[in-house]
Amino acid sequence: MNRERFQTEVLPLKDKLFRLALRITLNREDAEDIVQDTMLRVWDVQEQWPNIQSMEAYCLTICRRLALDFVKRAAARNVSFNPEQHDRPMVPGSEQKEEVRLIRQAMDQLPEAQRTIMQLRDMEEHSYAEIAELTEMTESQVKVYLHRARKKIKTIIEQIESYGL
Amino acid sequence: MDYKYIEQLLEQYWECQTTLEEEAILRAFFQQSDIPARLLPYKAIFQAEQEIKSEARLDKDFDKRMMQLIDERGEHYVAARRLTLLQRLQPLYKVAAVVAIVLSLGMASQYGWRNPQESQMAQGERTEDSTSVVPVDAATATMEKGTDSLTMVSVP
Repeated sequence: MNRERFQTEVLPLKDKLFRLALRITLNREDAEDIVQDTMLRVWDVQEQWPNIQSMEAYCLTICRRLALDFVKRAAARNVSFNPEQHDRPMVPGSEQKEEVRLIRQAMDQLPEAQRTIMQLRDMEEHSYAEIAELTEMTESQVKVYLHRARKKIKTIIEQIESYGL
Repeated sequence: MDYKYIEQLLEQYWECQTTLEEEAILRAFFQQSDIPARLLPYKAIFQAEQEIKSEARLDKDFDKRMMQLIDERGEHYVAARRLTLLQRLQPLYKVAAVVAIVLSLGMASQYGWRNPQESQMAQGERTEDSTSVVPVDAATATMEKGTDSLTMVSVP
């Protein structure tokens, strides 16, 4: 019975968890490992499933914690931060594509909290209340981080426009 | 097309004052091909986010691998739980037994090992003097009643 529940409630969250883990670790392999670990942990606490109000929120919270731990451990080992470079060959007349690449780079370089919150709001379309719960922050903190993130991206765009590509 | 509305929404977007619905409107607007030049630079944000979202996908093999992992884990988990449960309970029983013994020994040493006659006489003497002593004796009596190893005392 739990196996079926896992298949219908936990497994379908894989891409959402992956997007979150990827946003934090910026590495696909690491992100995949984290999704796996997240799901295993959820599987291990089956006796708590009746107490879980939202399986999605529960999984996302665990995923985020694991991803953050991973990044911290990697930093402690002085492992170089290896965000995957989104290199694309420059095609003539692809200023728009280059702009998108630069913005993605800027997004990747945001501090983790801003990156995660922007992901949860813009890409996962969560409410501020939900984001606060997932990140274990207050709603006002969430808005502060989101505000900083969006302002930063806006600045990047305006820089691109004034200096040209 | 009312671009003024979109510009307004965009300004609010930077200030984090848009609702989820309004942000969805912005996203839908910027997916179009017909965008005025002054708004075109901002298209890149929504495009970037769309790209990030669509690229972050796990392959179908992930599901298979994951189910395999939990099937393996499932068995170990259940076995481990059974063992742990037994192991956890045994010490509890031991502790409970020890506590029972200590309590009864403790109470015995505190109130003395009396034979029935002695204790009844002692009670009789005490109640003649003052009534305030009785409750204490009653408490003692009740407590002594609880332990099989001590004499049964009836409360007058």
